[in-house]
Amino acid sequence: MRHPTDGTLRRLLDEPAGVAEADREHVAGCPACLSGLAAAQEDAAVASAALSVQSASVQSAKVESVSVQSVSVESLSVESDVDVDAGWRRLSRALAEEGRAAPGSSASPARRWRAVLRSPVVAVVGVVVLLAGAGAAAAVDWLQIFRTEQIAPVTAPRADLVKLPDLSAFGKLEVTGQVDVRQVADAAAAEKASGLSVPRVAELPRGVTGEPTYHVGARASAVFTFSAEKAARTAAAAGQTAPPPPPGLDGSQFQLVAGPGLAAVWSANRPFPALIVARAIAPTAYSSGVPFDTARDYLLSLRVLPEDVASQLRGFSGEAMTLPLFTATEQSTSTTADVGGVPATVLTPRDGTMAAVVWVSDGVVTAVAGSLSADEALSVARGLRWNR
Amino acid sequence: MVVSGPPGQVTVRADLEQVFRSAYPRVVAVAARVLGSRDEAEDVAQEVFLTFGRSSIPAGEAVGWLSVAAAHTALNHLRSGRRRAWREEAADGGDGVSPDVADAVVTRDERRRVRAALARLPRRQAVALVLRHSGLSYAEVAAALDLSPGSVGTTVRRAESALREELNRHASSD
Repeated sequence: MRHPTDGTLRRLLDEPAGVAEADREHVAGCPACLSGLAAAQEDAAVASAALSVQSASVQSAKVESVSVQSVSVESLSVESDVDVDAGWRRLSRALAEEGRAAPGSSASPARRWRAVLRSPVVAVVGVVVLLAGAGAAAAVDWLQIFRTEQIAPVTAPRADLVKLPDLSAFGKLEVTGQVDVRQVADAAAAEKASGLSVPRVAELPRGVTGEPTYHVGARASAVFTFSAEKAARTAAAAGQTAPPPPPGLDGSQFQLVAGPGLAAVWSANRPFPALIVARAIAPTAYSSGVPFDTARDYLLSLRVLPEDVASQLRGFSGEAMTLPLFTATEQSTSTTADVGGVPATVLTPRDGTMAAVVWVSDGVVTAVAGSLSADEALSVARGLRWNR
Repeated sequence: MVVSGPPGQVTVRADLEQVFRSAYPRVVAVAARVLGSRDEAEDVAQEVFLTFGRSSIPAGEAVGWLSVAAAHTALNHLRSGRRRAWREEAADGGDGVSPDVADAVVTRDERRRVRAALARLPRRQAVALVLRHSGLSYAEVAAALDLSPGSVGTTVRRAESALREELNRHASSD
C-alpha cells in the first residue's frame, strides 16, 4: 500500500482515532513512515515549546521540556488564569463609549484621537494623506503637501478594513500633540479657545431640546518616519516582495496636523447625544521632502492593501486634496449631497439609528451628527449660521 | 476622520455576554500564543469581541469564528510590532515570571524570535498552527478555516516544519 501523507502522520500524533486503521497499521510496520512520524513529533514538540514561550507571560510557568501531549492541558491553564469579569466590564465600557461617540466629530473624548491613530483604518488614511501629496517636492524643512479641501468615502467590506495594516507597519509614528478635549463654559469661551466661529443652528430638529454644552480640542499632531525595512517586512508578512523603495523615501518624515476644533453637543435627557455640531481645522500634512506621487505609488505597489481599497485610493490624487473617509459597507451607506454649494458626504448606518453629514470648506471640516434621519441632519447642516 | 462603527444606539447581539463568558479565556489564550503578552492578548480579545458583538455570526459557529479572528488579529499585531518592547519589559518585570535577570533576557529574546518566525509563516499555516496548539480539535480547525479535516494535518505539519526552520535560521543569524 502507498504511504500515508505527512498530514496523516501528523494527525496520528494528536488524534490517532481520527486516522484510518489501515493507515495506523501500515505506519506501525513501515520504517519510512515511522521515521516520518518521529520527524513530525520533533517539529511538533519544537512548535509546542515555542508557542508556550509565547504564552508563558500569561500563565507564569516555565516551559522546559514541553511535550506535544501537554498542549491541551497547558492551554487550559492559560484559560483558567483569565479574569472574565474584568474583561466583561471592559467590553461593556467600550460598547457604551462607542455608543456615545459620533463619527466625524471632534466632540469625542481625547482617547478617541489616540484610538484613531492606532486603528488600522486610519493607518491608510494617514499614509495616503501623508504620501498622496501634491506634485514633486522641492522644499526644505516642512513643506505643506496636503490640505484637506474635501472628503470622499472609501468603502469596503468590514473584513477588508480590519485587515488594513496600521501606520506603524510602514515606519515610526510619534504623536507630538495629543488632542485634549475639554468642556468650556459657553459659546464665547469655545470661540476664544479654538479660534473658530461657533455655528448656530437655525432650527433644532424635533425632539432635540435644551441648550448645548460646548467642547474644544487643541491642535493635534503626529510625525511619521517612513522605514523601507518595516515596509518590506510588512509586505513579506503578507507574502509579497517589496520592490526597492524610490530614492529618498527611506527615513523621510511627514507631519500630520489637525485641529483645533470645537463642538456643540445637545444631549439633554438622552443616553446618546441627540445632536452634535462640530468644526475643526481640517487635517494637513507636511513633508521633509520626497517625491510624493512616487511614494504613494510605492505604498500601493507593496500589495498589502485589499485590492478594492487600493483601487479606490489610486483615485485620490494630491491635486484633488481629498481626504479619504473609510466606511465599512456592511455598516453604513454613504451618499453625497450639497451643503451651501459645497459637496458633503452623508453617512447613514444601516441600522438607521443616526446620521452624519461631513463637509470641508475653507480648510475647516464641519460635521453634523446625531440620532437623526439623514434628512434632518442635512436640514441642520444647511441651516447653520456662523457668528462673525 | 474615521467612521468605524455605527454610533448612536449600537446594536449589540443579545447573546454577547453569554458567549463572552464562555469563550473569552480561550480567545485570550489563542492571542497569547501568538503575542506572548497577556496585556496585548487581552487587547486583541476585546477587539475581537467588539466586532463579534455587532455581527450576526450564528451562535453555533461563535467559538470557531472568535478563535480564527483572535489568531488573525494577533498576527496583524505582530506585523506592526507596536509597543512590543514596552510590553515585554512590563511582562518580564511585573509579575515575577522569571526568577533572575538572565532568564528574563533569554525568555524575552525567545519570545521575540517566535514572534518574528510566526510573522513570516504563510497566514493560513500560522492560523492553523496557533489554533491547533490552543487545543482546538482537527474538526474544529477544519470548520473554522474551511479546510477538510484531512488537510488540517498537512497544513499544521507544514507550519511546524516552517516554524522550526525559521527559528533555526534566526538563531544562526543572531
